[in-house]
Amino acid sequence: MPQRYRIGVDIGGTFTDVCLVGPDGRLAATAKVRTTPDDPSRAVVDGVRAVADGRGGDVGAVVHATTLITNAIVERRGGRVGLLVTRGFFDTLEIARQHRYDMYDLRLERPAPLVERALRREVDERVLFDGTVERPIDPAEVERLAKELADAGAEAIAICFLHPYANPSHERVAAEATARAAPGRPVSLSWRISGQIREYERMVTTVANAYVQPVAARYLDRLRRGLGAVTPGAGLTIMTSNGGVTGVEAALEAPVRLVESGPAAGALAAAADCAALGLPGLLSFDMGGTTAKACVIVRGPDGEIRPDVTPEIEVARIYRFTKGSGLPLQVPSVELIEIGAGGGSIAWIDRLGRLQVGPESAGAEPGPACYPSSSGAPRSDPDPTVTDADVVLGYVGVEAFLGGRMRLDAAAAERALAVRLGGDPLAAAVRVRTAIDEQMALAFRRHCAERGYDPAERPLYAFGGAGPVHACGVAELLGIRRVIVPPAAGVGSAIGLLSAPPRVDVARTHFLDVTGAGDWAPVDRAYDEMRAETLALLATAGVGAAEVRYEYAADLRFHGQAHQLTVILPAEAFEAASGRRVDLVVGAFERAYARVYGRIPPGVGVQALQWRLVARGATPEPPSHQVASGDAGGATRMRDAWFAGRLVHTPVYRREALPCGEAVAGPVLVEEDASTTVVPPGWRLTLLPTGHLDVVREKE
Amino acid sequence: MAPLPWDILWNRLIAVADEQAAALIRTALTPAVSEAGDLSAAVFDARGQMLAQAVTGTPGHINSMATAMVHFLDAYPHETLRPGDVLITNDPWLTAGHYHDITIVTPVFHRGRLVGYFGNCCHTADIGGRYFSADAREVYEEGVCIPISRLFVAGAPNEELLRFVRANVRVPDHVVGDLYAQAAANDVGARRLVETLDEFELDDLAELSREILDRSEAAMRDAIRALPDGDYAAEGEFDGFDKPIKLAVTLRVRGDEVLADYAGTSPAAERGINVVLNYTHAYTTYALKTALSPEIPNNSGSFRPVALTAPEGCILNCKRPSAVAARHIVGHFVPSLIFRALAEALPDRVLAESYDALWNAHWHGVRPDGQGFVLVVFNAGGMGARQGADGLSATSFPSGIHGFPVEAIEANAPVVYEARRLRPDSGGPGKWRGGLGQEFVVRPREGARVWLSPFFDRTVYPARGLFGGEPGAPGRFTLDGVEQHPKTTVELPPGSRAVVSLPGGGGYGDPRERDRALVERDVADGYITPEHARSRYGRR
Repeated sequence: MPQRYRIGVDIGGTFTDVCLVGPDGRLAATAKVRTTPDDPSRAVVDGVRAVADGRGGDVGAVVHATTLITNAIVERRGGRVGLLVTRGFFDTLEIARQHRYDMYDLRLERPAPLVERALRREVDERVLFDGTVERPIDPAEVERLAKELADAGAEAIAICFLHPYANPSHERVAAEATARAAPGRPVSLSWRISGQIREYERMVTTVANAYVQPVAARYLDRLRRGLGAVTPGAGLTIMTSNGGVTGVEAALEAPVRLVESGPAAGALAAAADCAALGLPGLLSFDMGGTTAKACVIVRGPDGEIRPDVTPEIEVARIYRFTKGSGLPLQVPSVELIEIGAGGGSIAWIDRLGRLQVGPESAGAEPGPACYPSSSGAPRSDPDPTVTDADVVLGYVGVEAFLGGRMRLDAAAAERALAVRLGGDPLAAAVRVRTAIDEQMALAFRRHCAERGYDPAERPLYAFGGAGPVHACGVAELLGIRRVIVPPAAGVGSAIGLLSAPPRVDVARTHFLDVTGAGDWAPVDRAYDEMRAETLALLATAGVGAAEVRYEYAADLRFHGQAHQLTVILPAEAFEAASGRRVDLVVGAFERAYARVYGRIPPGVGVQALQWRLVARGATPEPPSHQVASGDAGGATRMRDAWFAGRLVHTPVYRREALPCGEAVAGPVLVEEDASTTVVPPGWRLTLLPTGHLDVVREKE
Repeated sequence: MAPLPWDILWNRLIAVADEQAAALIRTALTPAVSEAGDLSAAVFDARGQMLAQAVTGTPGHINSMATAMVHFLDAYPHETLRPGDVLITNDPWLTAGHYHDITIVTPVFHRGRLVGYFGNCCHTADIGGRYFSADAREVYEEGVCIPISRLFVAGAPNEELLRFVRANVRVPDHVVGDLYAQAAANDVGARRLVETLDEFELDDLAELSREILDRSEAAMRDAIRALPDGDYAAEGEFDGFDKPIKLAVTLRVRGDEVLADYAGTSPAAERGINVVLNYTHAYTTYALKTALSPEIPNNSGSFRPVALTAPEGCILNCKRPSAVAARHIVGHFVPSLIFRALAEALPDRVLAESYDALWNAHWHGVRPDGQGFVLVVFNAGGMGARQGADGLSATSFPSGIHGFPVEAIEANAPVVYEARRLRPDSGGPGKWRGGLGQEFVVRPREGARVWLSPFFDRTVYPARGLFGGEPGAPGRFTLDGVEQHPKTTVELPPGSRAVVSLPGGGGYGDPRERDRALVERDVADGYITPEHARSRYGRR
């Protein structure tokens, strides 16, 4: 088959970004269209039509990322779900983890479950931990209950019994009975959607899947029809949370796996750039208006560069981004840390006189104090934000913002800082700037420490409106000596989509005493099943069996620990004789454990809980960026900006006007439409032929 | 000289303590720590004053460790300590109130001087003596006491001490593995602290410590000053072991200080539910802080304006050899009692009484295959209602622990849960309803022998309401329908069925003033039965 055009589409909160890559692998066109929240497929189709520009028939593939699924959960706009549980466990969704996520706040509330009580039913059945059936299931009872749920208005049915990973037969029987009694309603089985131990987390995951299924079905149906008219020959694939892509059929069955689709695309873009630049890894740093995200990009054991993936994430946190205040999902996801602070975050003084930034944000409306009001009238007593501090410090220019389409009011920013934080506005701005950079650095440091990484060992890859403004400051705090700012960061995620391989992650819970005389036969059986399952799923994304590559992993721990490490295991551990298997598994575990925690406890056995399989198709060649023009126009003008404790007369470049390949010493500011790269003294900036800004700290 | 960036450094210290706790949670071998979060981690200055704690864990550990540090300094003054030394103790009267909680303290050296300490405290897998229960009559039955000693000496493990500990516990590899994990967690904190001092070119923590503690103290004093001077008193009765006990508190507010006086409290009990003063102090400061100033960071400065006194030998200030293993049962009643005392003065800042007593269940016995097992499971009942909001159902309070998944319990112990559900009608009626308790039904698996040591209370005396709110349902523990002692170890015979029903929280305000729509919603949701709605809320 001849090489054809490929299209990447990323739906964001405000804009839908689309890019077209030609048969030669080069970026041929991009488009940014307003997102259409009432029917997001409309903007997608418009954007695709714009970039295809008459070439729609030559497009072979459309790859798509969406925040639709997350938003449906956060905004509670999913379908009505009916839930079947094991008798005695009606309240599992409410009993949850029995934990207060804030020790001192007596006013706190817990997140509401996604299934109302009237749509839950108990089924008289029981499977024990080892898979023994204690009470057989009666399909007639399930039929009756499923019909009740359907009659009561359930659009989708979730089934979550106890211990299905040990014996899924009851969930299977219940699914068949439900299909008979409530035809036409999608059924989510906990064993299929998660397959992992911990009934609360698995139930939330299964329920969330059912909850977003009607939304996903409506959307994907419209999208398929819309694209069919514009790009009739193109296969549609969708980015999943794990940084892979999947076919529409698989997405419809398990839409919860799309929950981090959008952020995964950003991380994939960073990974693709990392590979293109020949770097061994990156710390990606995306700072927008209300939040910032970071992600460690590493070289996997197969040599491929990709984001770290975590087996469980929490979404829709209801309390200041606090861990435990959201819904836990057993969905393998690109491992991001999300911080509730961005350019719009409000700075304030607490009762102890400490400067705090966030988590409240001025958002897009009313926005930072320096934003003009939509009515044009002066705003009364606006809150000072991070962006206001950046304006007062001279980092963000008042004229170049959004390509000059919005003029910022520096005097308003100064007033807000002085009124709310006290004293000299410049001094207040410095405090805000220091505090926000600290907050980012501390969060990244902890994220890295928990995973056994040294944050200083990888370059910082900065994007998002506020990322390049703060990147060097954060880098200095973390000991990072190199910052990379990608070109066209605005559509970076859409480009990242085109470098994602088809990928499916599956897991089964099976406890095995690895160091004891355990029986490996159930593990072998689990892998036989998982390989068959992943092959079928990948086939829906057009991947042939011969192309599929497998990566094996297990969740391992020392006997008695409740936390486990997911450790990638050599494939030969699943082919070798059993004695050798133990050595291979224990060896891989102890190396990973020592890297993260240092000391190995003496004399304690190793236990496996979960067995994981990642199946992937071939990774497509990432699109190459346009080489920058290299027009050595020099600095367009000068502006005072705060560096090393004083205001310094600093050259300001337009990004397009930077000379290519020539080093420029800081302090210098580089402006583009959606951001400014701040290069402090002691750093040196070079525009690479790939269009990236490469900012390096000079040796001291 | 530039002013000290104290607020930046303060956040650094909190982050460092968080990192220390995260390391401990992930490396600890006992599920009480790794699964339930039963631990604390904190950083101290050279004088042993707590500067910052991890935002995780449980108040009983954190605040008792803060007051414990002075004992470490007495036992090992600065000049006796060298880099690589690590100290240990589980003495109940010096630290967290029972042998099962082991505190590990590591001095930090910088530029040749001792500049501070990292400490953490967590629940060990076993400490010898009886299985973990309230049954003992003297503390000597409850396991082995480790006086303040060196666990590591200049970086090398103290082998004699470790041999001694190993010889006294049932699962030596786990216990010693956890001691290593605790020491390693302190190392993580210490490394980061020294990096920070280097970065800011500081010789020590003295100036920063002054800023943090004085500011916290001042904020706490402001909060206390907002309360009118006077004596605020409350008392309550509780199940106790063999006979009811009474707890009494009078908060004597004078200007910007408060003295919590526990005069009138029952004498120590004959069994292991007695509380050391350190632990009483921990929950006293916790309760005052949550009611008066939840946003002030928890540190030694915020404790300064708070003093307490309790009669020698009373159940909140017990003396050796009182048995103490189940001290959390009684200690956890302190916050609800203090809220009751403050209710008139701070009606919008307190809770009605909660289930409080932790209701942990300690399982041990023999699996069908002959292997032994032990497992501690935490369970949460209903929290008290608040002004303007219902109480939370099945939510831990005042402890900060997590519950366990039933699937994980069944994977670790040969028991079968027939149900784990909320208890309808258990939330105390009120304009704002108390949180519901939960109920679980358990039986042993065929071929296993299973004992349950319960740590239950409020089976006779329920969680009371406030301002006309009614009490929550009391708890209950039955075996095949027969009431059981709430604190005595019992075997679950083959084929038997235990039902454990946790108390609900107290209500707030007159139930007849409850919004009718909320009453209807509760009936529709099954949180209350129609009969309960009629008799308690006046629903027609």
